Amino acid sequence: MLGDPVAHVVLVEDSDEDADTAEEALRRTLLPVRMQRVSSGGACLALLTGGPGLLPSLIVMDLGTPGLDGRDALREIRRDQRLSGVAVVVTSTSANPRDVDFCYLAGANAYHVKPVHHQQHLDAMTALFEYWLRRVELPMPQPCPR
Amino acid sequence: MSHYTAVDGHPGVEGEGAQLPWAGQAYSVKRFGVTITNCESEPVQTPGCIQGHGALLVLNRSDLRVAQASENTDALLGHAAAALLGQPVSLVLGAQDEASLRRLLGREDCERNSRYLCTLAARDSAPALDVSVHMVDGVVVVEFEATGRSQPRPDPASWDPIGRVQHSVARLQKADTLQVLGDIATAEIRSLTGLDRVMVYRFHADGHGEIVAESRRDDLAPWLGLHYPAQDIPESAREIFRQSWIRPLREVGAPLAELVPLAHPDTGRPLTMTHCALRGPSVMHTEYLQNMGVTAGLTMAIRRGDQLWGLITGHHYGGAHDLSFEMRAACELLAVVVSLQHRAAQEREELVYRLQLDGVLQQLVTQAAHEGGLSALLDGPPTLLDAMSAGGTALLHRDSWTRAGAVPPEAELQALGAWLANRPELIDVERPIFVTDALAREYPPAAAWAGCGGGLMAIALSRTLGDMVLWFRPETSQSVRWGGNPDDKPQVLGPHGMRLTPRRSFELFIDSVRGRSLPWKSVEVDAALRFRAILMELVVSRAAQLASLNADLARSNDDLDAFAYVASHDLKEPLRGIHKYAHQMATDAAERNDPDRERLAGLLRLAMRMDSLLDSLLHFSRVGRVALLLEPVDVNEVVAEAIEMVDGRRRDKPAEIVVPVRLPVVQVDRVRLREVFVNLLSNALKYNDRPITQVEVGCSAAGPQGVTFFVRDNGIGIQPRHVDQVFKMFKRLHGRDEFGGGTGAGLTIVRKLVERHGGDVWLESTFGQGSTFFFTIPGLPAAKPDAG
Repeated sequence: MLGDPVAHVVLVEDSDEDADTAEEALRRTLLPVRMQRVSSGGACLALLTGGPGLLPSLIVMDLGTPGLDGRDALREIRRDQRLSGVAVVVTSTSANPRDVDFCYLAGANAYHVKPVHHQQHLDAMTALFEYWLRRVELPMPQPCPR
Repeated sequence: MSHYTAVDGHPGVEGEGAQLPWAGQAYSVKRFGVTITNCESEPVQTPGCIQGHGALLVLNRSDLRVAQASENTDALLGHAAAALLGQPVSLVLGAQDEASLRRLLGREDCERNSRYLCTLAARDSAPALDVSVHMVDGVVVVEFEATGRSQPRPDPASWDPIGRVQHSVARLQKADTLQVLGDIATAEIRSLTGLDRVMVYRFHADGHGEIVAESRRDDLAPWLGLHYPAQDIPESAREIFRQSWIRPLREVGAPLAELVPLAHPDTGRPLTMTHCALRGPSVMHTEYLQNMGVTAGLTMAIRRGDQLWGLITGHHYGGAHDLSFEMRAACELLAVVVSLQHRAAQEREELVYRLQLDGVLQQLVTQAAHEGGLSALLDGPPTLLDAMSAGGTALLHRDSWTRAGAVPPEAELQALGAWLANRPELIDVERPIFVTDALAREYPPAAAWAGCGGGLMAIALSRTLGDMVLWFRPETSQSVRWGGNPDDKPQVLGPHGMRLTPRRSFELFIDSVRGRSLPWKSVEVDAALRFRAILMELVVSRAAQLASLNADLARSNDDLDAFAYVASHDLKEPLRGIHKYAHQMATDAAERNDPDRERLAGLLRLAMRMDSLLDSLLHFSRVGRVALLLEPVDVNEVVAEAIEMVDGRRRDKPAEIVVPVRLPVVQVDRVRLREVFVNLLSNALKYNDRPITQVEVGCSAAGPQGVTFFVRDNGIGIQPRHVDQVFKMFKRLHGRDEFGGGTGAGLTIVRKLVERHGGDVWLESTFGQGSTFFFTIPGLPAAKPDAG
């Protein structure tokens, strides 16, 4: 929709290769999106609550980041009322049902397994962005809480 | 053997009943002995007669005048008995010795204790006489014997009783077991007295006796080890030996001299002769000895505190045998020393036995601990039977009996075990043990077990499992050699018929010990209790060991979880990076027609293979840990789903999967069972080089192991040497790309899934013709609740 502010996406990913794949996938969608990458759950939380500016429309969160990992960050985000409008999509290497269940119960909006096969991985990420940024209506971004 | 009898040990005539021939008057062996028909009716402590080689006077304590005299005083003392009655004793002793007697009575302790007074010189036809004195029931008893110092001595230098006794005592004190003590005592007493045979006769708890030591003339048959019925030495005779240390019998069957009058003129009581050296032997005892050819005897007591532990018995076979006062004193001293030493020796002997028992039991426990099972207790050597003096032993462990030696048949053991399990003794807090030497009296079925139903000792090792150890001891009548057993020696008839022959005695005894074993020694019971305690400790520590192993296992499961996570994430992430770069390079190389593109393609393939290996490992680790969701499942549906899932793999060539029989409903985890079938079916489809692949799914009828399912193919089969390999993780028998590839985890996962259900998996295969994989699901086919 013309005139809309450029969508803001935060990518939480410690692997440079996976981050690169995500960026390539986003480029392939040709969407006018500003993606900001952080490499840990802790950094993501700091970004969300540190302002200034608006909250992202979408967070793509890798589960196994160092330090405060994706699980902790997910829990923290969902615990904070002010952040409840932000969509959080989890990507993970693990297909363990325990991890899947945990993330949905903690409030994740979707859970994607990252394939080892590069082409499949790229396709999966492209589909993810296509869906969440083109097919789905997301709420209006709110200002970052301080 | 000695044979004494009496009426319940009480001297006197009161209340003996009108049926006795001497009723209403004092008893005399000489007068009434031949009328005796029953061992227990003879008043042995008041026989009314003395041995005729000596004389006896009964004096009033107050004036030392003669109240009773033996009928033979005329020959020995020079005065007829009737003439002595009422006279002062100085008539016989003379004034000087009467004065000595007064001093002795005033000074020394003569009550029931015979003291040497003096020796009367020989006169006319009478020999010199040793005079000894004691008091009993308020009267003074003076005994005269023509023996010892009054006789000319063979060689004064070699005859030194005190020196001999000192020598004997020194030897006895060195004995450190009962056996050595008995051996020394019998040898010393025989050498001291010159008797032909001297034995130590031990009373067992049930009253029967056993010869435990013997010294004999070389030409005599050994009696060592023979057992004798309790009736051979009745209670009344034993009572004498609790009071008196020694009982000499100079000549068996020699004439007796009766007291005149038989009863004391003032009190009317017969004389208690328990402490008289001259006491006349009972008619029973005389006859018993005569039946064995004994011509003279000497018996001494071995006491332990107030208890009569046994006897030292001497026999002579060549006529009369003189035992002087001195000699008797020496023997009495030896009997006392043996009694004192005997306690220490027995304690030492029990200590040795105890150490021996503990040693073997300890070894058994070590064995059991090492081999990790109670069955080691009977595998030996050593075994439970070595530890305890028993005829047989049985171990109940995990509901099965292991037996050694003479024990009842298994069915009987089963019943006995069930009976014992309810006995309160086995769970006693202080002494949890069941001990009996007459099992049949408490457990009547034992009466039928020939040879092993006598005694039983039982300990329980675990209440919940019912494990127990039993020791059986055979009936005494079958386990020992009986003196007097009619099978052992010819029957001898006494002058009064059968009443006192060994056979009669033996038969009486057998009746009394039928169904009884030798009693269990306290040292044995204690050892069994200690054994139990150690074994229980072992069982408990094993439980603790298991608990710690379980904890370790839980820890390693957690480790496996952590590892699975590492495999799923930390290994895959770099692998994805490798694949990405290889993919990009391969794309570039393809554009440039770079010769490296082949190798990059290989790199990509390897990365994907590693990815699937990681997936398998991850899946396998989950299979073992995820809880099963058990429910009644229709296996027909599960197989249909599995066929559908593998259907995509049948694209290469035609294949038919048939299920000719109707499969049952079983209690399983539906998803896991489907995975089992998927794995087996995909293997069956994969490893096949026939033009048409044929697979059959079926099951056998339910048996005790549950239901057995199978998946049969007409594939390539497995060589016998590889059969054990196929269930191993990542074990592949074929090249990676042959038969469609695979990680080699499928059958490992199948086995894991089946084992999780409590079943078993195996295979039969003919190389080149096909394989059949079987697996069982335990339990009976389940009814499906909503079937219909």
